[in-house]
Amino acid sequence: MKGIIELNEVSFDYKSVDQTTVGVKNISLSIKEGDFVALIGHNGSGKSTLAKLFNGFLIPDTGDVIVKGMNTKEKKNTFEIRKKVGMVFQTPDNQMVASIIEDDIAFGAENLGVPREEIIRRVEWALSAVDMLEYKKHTPFKLSGGQKQRIAIAAILAMMPEVLILDESTAMLDPEGRKEVLEVVKKLNKEHNMTVVLITHYMEEAIDADEVYIMNEGEIVDFGKPEEVFKDYKKLNSVKLEVPIVSQVIALLQKDGYPIKNCLKVEELAEEICRLR
Amino acid sequence: MGKGISFGQFYPGESFLHKMDPRIKIILAIAYIVTVFLCQTFYSYLAIFLFLISLILVSQVPLKSVLKSIKGILYLVLLTAVINILFFKEGRVLLNFWIVTITLDGLFFSAKMALRLIFLVMGTTLVTLTTTPMSLTDGMESLMSPLKAVKFPVHDVAIIMNIALRFIPSLMEEIDKIMMAQKARGAAFDTGGLIARAKALLPVLIPLFVSAFRRADELALALDARCYNATDKRTKMKVLKIGYRDLIGSLAMAAVMAGIILMRVFLTGV
Ligand SMILES: Nc1ncnc2c1ncn2[C@@H]1O[C@H](COP(=O)(O)OP(=O)(O)OP(=O)(O)O)[C@@H](O)[C@H]1O
Ligand SMILES: [Mg+2]
Repeated sequence: MKGIIELNEVSFDYKSVDQTTVGVKNISLSIKEGDFVALIGHNGSGKSTLAKLFNGFLIPDTGDVIVKGMNTKEKKNTFEIRKKVGMVFQTPDNQMVASIIEDDIAFGAENLGVPREEIIRRVEWALSAVDMLEYKKHTPFKLSGGQKQRIAIAAILAMMPEVLILDESTAMLDPEGRKEVLEVVKKLNKEHNMTVVLITHYMEEAIDADEVYIMNEGEIVDFGKPEEVFKDYKKLNSVKLEVPIVSQVIALLQKDGYPIKNCLKVEELAEEICRLR
Repeated sequence: MGKGISFGQFYPGESFLHKMDPRIKIILAIAYIVTVFLCQTFYSYLAIFLFLISLILVSQVPLKSVLKSIKGILYLVLLTAVINILFFKEGRVLLNFWIVTITLDGLFFSAKMALRLIFLVMGTTLVTLTTTPMSLTDGMESLMSPLKAVKFPVHDVAIIMNIALRFIPSLMEEIDKIMMAQKARGAAFDTGGLIARAKALLPVLIPLFVSAFRRADELALALDARCYNATDKRTKMKVLKIGYRDLIGSLAMAAVMAGIILMRVFLTGV
């Protein structure tokens, strides 16, 4: 099956007058429709660069990025691709253009030229999808970080994208806000079949993902199901990532010869250990 | 700082004023400014005062929020009042001391000037308090739309204004935060002479600019991600419509304006 986003040996460098910095190099991947994909890597490993290649903010130096069969290289596709691939950023405050929530949600749909009645329907839908409908007429200033970020997600949803990219959208939030946002994102993935690309450096956020990509120095160093990828904690530590504690315990027990199945949640691990006796 | 300025702060509500068309409100605000400048006699000031009070009552905005707007210009008002009192030499002398002469007319004159400033700011603040920045800029866009004929980027200007208004509270909050951080490290903003104070502000301005540019970066990406300017067939969720409230509002403003003009023509004196 063809993926909704396909990358084919993609490389990108940031060039300035006196130097070039590697953004990403030689990346091939395929994101399937409806998947929940997590992209993990330390600071400067190229996650944002990769995300910006997904929606045509950046055009690869070599290789191709194909979104729903459209190559991001071709200028005429840019608009359609932006419509299909929505992106939420780190700081919720810096993504809001209007002082009233419903105006902010409507902004993207207005830019697309969606008819008025349809915009009103979409605003209602997007706000209820992130569970913020009662704040429709409020100003965003008094909301919590998690609530603001949910508004930022709704603002993208109103454009009816098929892929939702969250570039460290939980990084500025407290644990409570992070949980809220993650729940909303998971719900969108499950109930609305939204393809989600979650960029994060909290590994815990990736345990429910269908697929995890680990990035280092612009390259993908490992990918696969989270329980598989997290098992190799030496490799993850070598790319400056902290492995979730459950995966560390499992790896140690397996090394000592205990027949423990791979899992990611504390409860599951507890049950596995009880089964051992 | 920060807390004193309420410009650009919308006070959510469903009042008569909230529901008026932003275009009409902008035009009426201009008419109001002209009217305030036409005031001459005590009675005309009284009339404007009563008009303003009834507007505030109709708007259902708490008096506190409206009064906040004057806090920002309080020093300006006091300064001009003092200057006016000191330099006004005509009329009955109340006090003559060294080089200072205070006259009765001078007192009246400076009181009028101060009131004029206060009325101006309170009245126009009422517009921003009852109109969301979005609809305010929508209104301006619509009023300026004839300029599109000469290729003036009316819509972009409207979006720029809208975003500027939207970011004022965020930047104010940021100034507060930075000042607090600097104070915690022993910076003093309210002692010393003018130069010392200006110098103390420098470490506040630099982080402010840095963060403003960082914000601008992310905002630009967010605008792009939401297809800003991607097509020229943009639609609007809220369409502006002139209703009976706008008619009533315009009539009220016209009546007040006419009254003030009549007073100016037929009444002289204090
Ligand atoms: N606009 C730019 N100009 C030049 N170099 C850049 C630019 N943006 C990123 N880089 C460089 O490209 C590399 C990858 O950066 P990228 O922002 O993709 O990393 P990241 O994984 O998103 O990091 P973070 O976790 O800090 O967001 C880094 O070395 C970075 O310094
Ligand atoms: Mg990044």
